[in-house]
Amino acid sequence: MSGEEEENAAELKIGDEFLKAKCLMNCEVALILERKYEQLQQMSEDPMNQVSQVFEKSLQYVKRFSRYKNPDAVRQVREILSRYQLAEFELCVLGNLCPETVEEAIAMVPSIKTRGRAHEDEAIEKMLNDLSLIKKFE
Amino acid sequence: MFFHIVLERNMQLHPRHFGRDLREKLVSKLMKDVEGTCSGRHGFVVAITGIENVGKGLIRDGTGFVTFPVKYQCVVFRPFKGEILEAVVTMVNKMGFFAEAGPVQIFVSNHLIPDDMEFQSGDMPNYTTSDGSVKIQKDSEVRLKIIGTRVDATEIFCIGTIKDDFLGVISDPATAS
Repeated sequence: MSGEEEENAAELKIGDEFLKAKCLMNCEVALILERKYEQLQQMSEDPMNQVSQVFEKSLQYVKRFSRYKNPDAVRQVREILSRYQLAEFELCVLGNLCPETVEEAIAMVPSIKTRGRAHEDEAIEKMLNDLSLIKKFE
Repeated sequence: MFFHIVLERNMQLHPRHFGRDLREKLVSKLMKDVEGTCSGRHGFVVAITGIENVGKGLIRDGTGFVTFPVKYQCVVFRPFKGEILEAVVTMVNKMGFFAEAGPVQIFVSNHLIPDDMEFQSGDMPNYTTSDGSVKIQKDSEVRLKIIGTRVDATEIFCIGTIKDDFLGVISDPATAS
């Protein structure tokens, strides 16, 4: 490979290109792929034949692992998480895994603690609370 | 993790497609060519979501084909070392188990399954704790951490672990329903 240093998502080393890119949570991907699938359905009788295996598997996967189903909730999750100065990648890991405790959140996204940012346990706790509220009212 | 990124590709188009719907031809060919492919650098291209820009075409010497640089937005799936994600178990054997997270296959060796889980053979092979409270079998959902990736020309394989805090079975198909 092109001499890049070893990647490690736990330290947020995912390459410049992906660090700057927009990350998508599973629920967002589900919305995008379902919409695209509907479009294909309108154009042909048997859309499953039209799509690649990668598409099919991804669609099944994101449908199975979407924490939030309705588009408004999905938007809210992103809005709430984006208040906490997270990197895109961290935001999406949290949105996908929905940790319940501060300890779990730090285990899932170790970089929220290591980058020397002001992420006190209280702030993390509040963030997790906000997230679980969306889930409750969905 | 899924990403929404912009990629560029040089598309070759036969002169017979030149006309009013050149752009449509270009887009449908692009979709056919790249959707479902995989590269080590960008991962699996899941779906093209839009075209950013089609550059000026260049006639290839001697063939009449024209090359257009096309910039397009797409959804890609790229696994990273150290990433934690959820996956569905597809096969269990005494070496460990295979799981799938979207297009990517992840292998978890029995060394990376907690020591208190034992392999049980039978028509539904599984890993079970001694008290039987936790079971990993086909169709179980697990949360795992990717500790290694292997990239070849058209595929990415991952090695994962569930031997860490907050990893392991999320739901078990037998008890869920």
